[in-house]
Amino acid sequence: MTHDRWTTGDSELTGALRALYAAPADERYWDALEARILAHVARGDEHAGWYGELADMMRPGLIAAAGLILAASLAMVHSRQADARSAYATVISPSAAALEPASRASAVGDGDAAIHFILSH
Amino acid sequence: MLAIAGPPSRTVSPVPPEATGAAQERAIVVAAQAGSDEAFSALVRLHQRRAYAIVRAIVLSHEDAEDAVQEGFLHAHRALDRFRPDQPFGAWLYRIMANAALDLVRRRKVRDADELPESIPMPFRDPAESGELRSRLRQALTHLTDRQRAVIVMHDVEGFTHGEIGRTLGIPEGTARSDLHHARAALRRLLQDMRSTP
Repeated sequence: MTHDRWTTGDSELTGALRALYAAPADERYWDALEARILAHVARGDEHAGWYGELADMMRPGLIAAAGLILAASLAMVHSRQADARSAYATVISPSAAALEPASRASAVGDGDAAIHFILSH
Repeated sequence: MLAIAGPPSRTVSPVPPEATGAAQERAIVVAAQAGSDEAFSALVRLHQRRAYAIVRAIVLSHEDAEDAVQEGFLHAHRALDRFRPDQPFGAWLYRIMANAALDLVRRRKVRDADELPESIPMPFRDPAESGELRSRLRQALTHLTDRQRAVIVMHDVEGFTHGEIGRTLGIPEGTARSDLHHARAALRRLLQDMRSTP
């Protein structure tokens, strides 16, 4: 530890600095501060314990929620894939109902052409 | 705040932890790490004065110093299991104290900036302090940076060496030396008018 003063002329200033920053002298002050520190630590640990318990309780809940979200996402993806497969199947193998009007229209068109041919000759 | 906070006195010196012996202190630390409240109380009793001196050098008021000391010991208690007993406990603890004080200063600055942007901090409402020098000094100290103020108080008031200051504040020894030089120069400049008055 060193205490090199600034200069002789600064002693008043150093004294003022020390007076301004000096610690309380009363022993009772330190006893009381010690008690306050220990109470603060106890309160802080209590709070940390309560928070820790809450965090412990929240953890399984968060895991369950994450699981639900994952399951819902998978179900949604699965459903979309099924829809896509169904749409694809509809495109590559059209149903009879979808083809029937086209055939009928085609048949009607051929009949009309034949009538036009007979009438024109 | 504590009701029995008496006027400050420069006759009080921090209790040196070496007084108890390193081995004895190590035993206390190990007991505290094992969960002994009594051992932790002993550590508080051993170190609270020096801890106060360190945080008081950093914060602007006696009340803030009390808050910072309490917060520092709380941090230390929570981190106690991470402390290696073969290391000097005091250095570890005082580093935590300095960080707690610096953190408090930062929070106070944010709060003060929100509430009273033009106010000048008025630390430690001691009715006995009425001297003009003290008043001017207090005001001049607010013009130093937090670190410069901490360095000059730790060195000139508490008697820390440059190395001790560096280790506590987490800065190189040369920086502590330089901060001290600049802090003194700034105080001389700020108080020059008054000091030249006969």
